[in-house]
Amino acid sequence: MKVHYKPKRNLLETIFQVEILQGMALTLRKLFSPAITRQYPQEKPPMFPGFRGQHALVRDSLTRDSKCVACMRCATVCPSRCIQISYDEDETHKRIINKYTIEVLRCVFCGYCVEVCPVGAITMTELFEYATYDRDTVFFDKEALLDNWDAFIAKTGKDPAYVNPLMRPRGIFESSLPAAKRLKVPEDWTIEGQYVGPKARPSMVGLPTPHTEKANG
Amino acid sequence: MITLTDTQTIDVPVQSGEEDRYHLKMGPQHPATHGVLRVDLDLDGETILTCDPKVGYLHRGFEKLAEHRTYAQNIVLTDRLDYIAAMSNNVGYCEAVERLLAIEVPERARMLRVMVCEMSRISSHLLWLATHALDIGAMTVFLYCFREREVLLELFAELCGARLTTTYTRLGGVRQDVTRSIMKKLDKFVEDFPACIEEYETLIDTNRIWLKRTIGIGQVSAEKALDLCLTGASLRGSGVDYDIRKHMPYAGYEKFEFDIPVGETGDTYARYRCRMEELRQSNFILRQCIDMLPPGPVLGKDAPDLVMPIRAANKLEVDVPAKNALITLIEDRDVFMEGDIYVATEVPKGELGFYFISDGMGRPYRMHIRSPSFIHIGALSTMAQGAMIADLIAIIGTLDVVLGECDR
Ligand code: SF4
Ligand code: SF4
Repeated sequence: MKVHYKPKRNLLETIFQVEILQGMALTLRKLFSPAITRQYPQEKPPMFPGFRGQHALVRDSLTRDSKCVACMRCATVCPSRCIQISYDEDETHKRIINKYTIEVLRCVFCGYCVEVCPVGAITMTELFEYATYDRDTVFFDKEALLDNWDAFIAKTGKDPAYVNPLMRPRGIFESSLPAAKRLKVPEDWTIEGQYVGPKARPSMVGLPTPHTEKANG
Repeated sequence: MITLTDTQTIDVPVQSGEEDRYHLKMGPQHPATHGVLRVDLDLDGETILTCDPKVGYLHRGFEKLAEHRTYAQNIVLTDRLDYIAAMSNNVGYCEAVERLLAIEVPERARMLRVMVCEMSRISSHLLWLATHALDIGAMTVFLYCFREREVLLELFAELCGARLTTTYTRLGGVRQDVTRSIMKKLDKFVEDFPACIEEYETLIDTNRIWLKRTIGIGQVSAEKALDLCLTGASLRGSGVDYDIRKHMPYAGYEKFEFDIPVGETGDTYARYRCRMEELRQSNFILRQCIDMLPPGPVLGKDAPDLVMPIRAANKLEVDVPAKNALITLIEDRDVFMEGDIYVATEVPKGELGFYFISDGMGRPYRMHIRSPSFIHIGALSTMAQGAMIADLIAIIGTLDVVLGECDR
């Protein structure tokens, strides 16, 4: 496709500067339309579940402690290697964490640690304003991470049992999730309730789903 | 030590015959160099005699870092290449690794990839138009472009949790499905966007200052552009019809209807027109995505787990404990192919290629990135020769370089 353009003006347009007047008219019109700027510190940007913000360890409502089982999956997957965990084993081979730290200054906020955790122990909250003058306050240990969770729940008033899409990714089969993560989620996170284009052709579908079965009779 | 008083001057030795030459180092903190590009200029009055771009100020060693991380972890690095269109880089990287490891991607994930690629193309072109116009002196367009870009970035935040460093794709699919609210917002954006393109065009398309600053500036003929290895809109502005989305389709682009805008004159204005048309075409592709998004899972059957081992399962007996074997979501698989592969994708800036050498381990033995910005900066010295110094700004702008990708 060739692009068409006509950068030449006729004499009248040149004399009366029509294109400049048109531009001025547009900006003048915008002067009377509602402002779209956001007054940031007073007015917060919209936040969505699954925002990759400050880390937190979910506080279990029964034990009042973290759910972490020290499986080391998050420490293994972390691309910037900023999660340090050390643990001891008791007689029953239950792992007891003695150190769990996240060095946030090295973190790249990819959310992998949340996604791989088999029990949903670590999560990322929707808080992102925690810049400080001091490196130590952003070097989170286990207590600090649990406190982050409390602060998040207190600040946003969310249900402590809430799931975010980083913990339980949208659009995958329930059977491919570890048992502890087969939680109740909104309908359009599941494959059955997902958005489908109105003109989607059933032949394009690779795997059988309720939609194709319906389409195929 | 030399101390200077008001009256003292220093005589700089000048070679005879070069008395009129003026040596200027522009950048790396110059706002019009779009990041940290330094250009060493030799000037005769205001005419550029030689132009020597110096890159490397943003070098972070990604190619080397990639050798020490698994394929899944490297997706995070690709966000930081071209940070304006991170989604396109994610897709380019995953397309390459999937072809290397023979991983299949479900239809829905492929169409979602096309969708986010086009969204990031629009947001990248909007940022290009904004800064290019600002460099040339049109402030209003800058603000209007950011208005639309904000909508797209908020959609990215809702889709994957981050506005710029998206990390959206995964080997074998994408990380998150869309929700109804995202699609509704995208639908509204696609509905409104053509009117916004007209607004930008009203402001600058025939504006006499814009025309004076762009027509005939940085002209490259089709042969010259091919010699300089230009790709993307910088090449198409010179009249070469080459777009990887059409000529070597990936991620299911062959299913979409769209045109490749091709310019004629090869100057800054032609490239501007090409990119504006591309905005319309991308919008059209987005419309088709919304209409045709098929049902199904977003992650393939044999997609590897994020926690990849650094040794393949078939070399297990050596020293890797069994729990580190490559666990796929549904079935176990133990393939890490050996060999090499080059896969190119069309990102907003041009052709982004990933070259991998795999030695059968869980991480690349070598990863090379063919980044369009690096090649385009190489063309700068040819294009700027003989131009005026003010036009250099327009030429840097029209090449649409991002230094994060150039220096990587
Ligand atoms: S978000 Fe990514 S970089 Fe940060 S701790 Fe988690 S895995 Fe590591
Ligand atoms: S992945 Fe979850 S359970 Fe395992 S160590 Fe990390 S936080 Fe604990």
